[in-house]
Amino acid sequence: MTVETTNEVSQWAAPSWDEVVRQHADRVYRLAYRLSGNKADAEDLTQETFVRVFRSLADYTPGTFEGWLHRITTNLFLDLVRRRQRIRFDALPEDAGDRLASSESGPEQAYDEMHLDPEIQQALDALPADFRVAVVLCDLEQLSYEEIAATLGIKVGTVRSRIHRGRVLLREALAHRAPGTPVGRSHAGSEAGA
Amino acid sequence: MSSQHLSDEAVAAFADGVLTGHARERATKHAAVCSECADAVAVQREAVLALRSAAAPAVPSGLLDRLKSLPDTTPVSGVPATLGPDGSPMFAAFGTLTSAALDAPQPRSRRGMPFALAATAVVALGAVAVGSATASGTHRQPPAGTGVAPAGVTGGSGSSFVEPVRLTRIGLR
Repeated sequence: MTVETTNEVSQWAAPSWDEVVRQHADRVYRLAYRLSGNKADAEDLTQETFVRVFRSLADYTPGTFEGWLHRITTNLFLDLVRRRQRIRFDALPEDAGDRLASSESGPEQAYDEMHLDPEIQQALDALPADFRVAVVLCDLEQLSYEEIAATLGIKVGTVRSRIHRGRVLLREALAHRAPGTPVGRSHAGSEAGA
Repeated sequence: MSSQHLSDEAVAAFADGVLTGHARERATKHAAVCSECADAVAVQREAVLALRSAAAPAVPSGLLDRLKSLPDTTPVSGVPATLGPDGSPMFAAFGTLTSAALDAPQPRSRRGMPFALAATAVVALGAVAVGSATASGTHRQPPAGTGVAPAGVTGGSGSSFVEPVRLTRIGLR
């Protein structure tokens, strides 16, 4: 135990709930939005994540707070996907996001529409959920492969292959955006794991 | 072509620059002579760039308000297990302190009430004990700047329950 660490420890003050929300809401909402692809689900996922955080601090296991939040949000999203797969009539209309999102959300709606690239979000939405989760956690949340593996409870090799496949599909979906780049070529070799 | 194609996993890892040692060397050499694999690596990078070019959505203000008022609207099942040395509530996450005894109703929290993320405090306490017991090695710095740095718990008294704690970092790189 170093002296510095002891000082660090003694200087810490418990954050208020307001601080917890302010510090983490953006990240949680962004992840929820990238995963779900619409405002209504993103809001629900975000709220449920914070409800769980508030309720289950007693069950909090060692690790960083961000890692915990990622796990909760991601698992809630995967639960949602599975639930909807079970319920076959899950087809929400295209405007579900606008329709169901909180009515008091105000000008952010316009902000979203201006700043979120719909093509990219659509390409993301088109990915199978498992691939999407891996790609979003890696490329947008910038977690390491190991962190993603821990978050999802899968092997690092599986993480890598899901990321690879997810990106290939994304790039194909966005092929027209970067003309001249070879895309869609099937990459068959897969034996020589480097 | 002088060597086998890169695996999909290697292509992703190479594109991300996280291959090391021999694997990295081999991938570098191979991609230099194999246009197919070089293209595959490029596709990975282009996908990442495209994704990152999309701006992040902002939290709707209505949602932010609802999150902030969660303490007023959410029933809590667990209450603090004990009080820390500074009088702040501590939650027990493991060891002999479990949440079993914690089902008593808790007064509704008020917004702005100090929110002791004291599971981390318990971790810190564990780290203190481990650190002082082994004097070296396994202890890692508690995560800083996450808002959940260890609470005001320093070593010494009351740490008899502590078993070695593995601090798993699941943070951001």
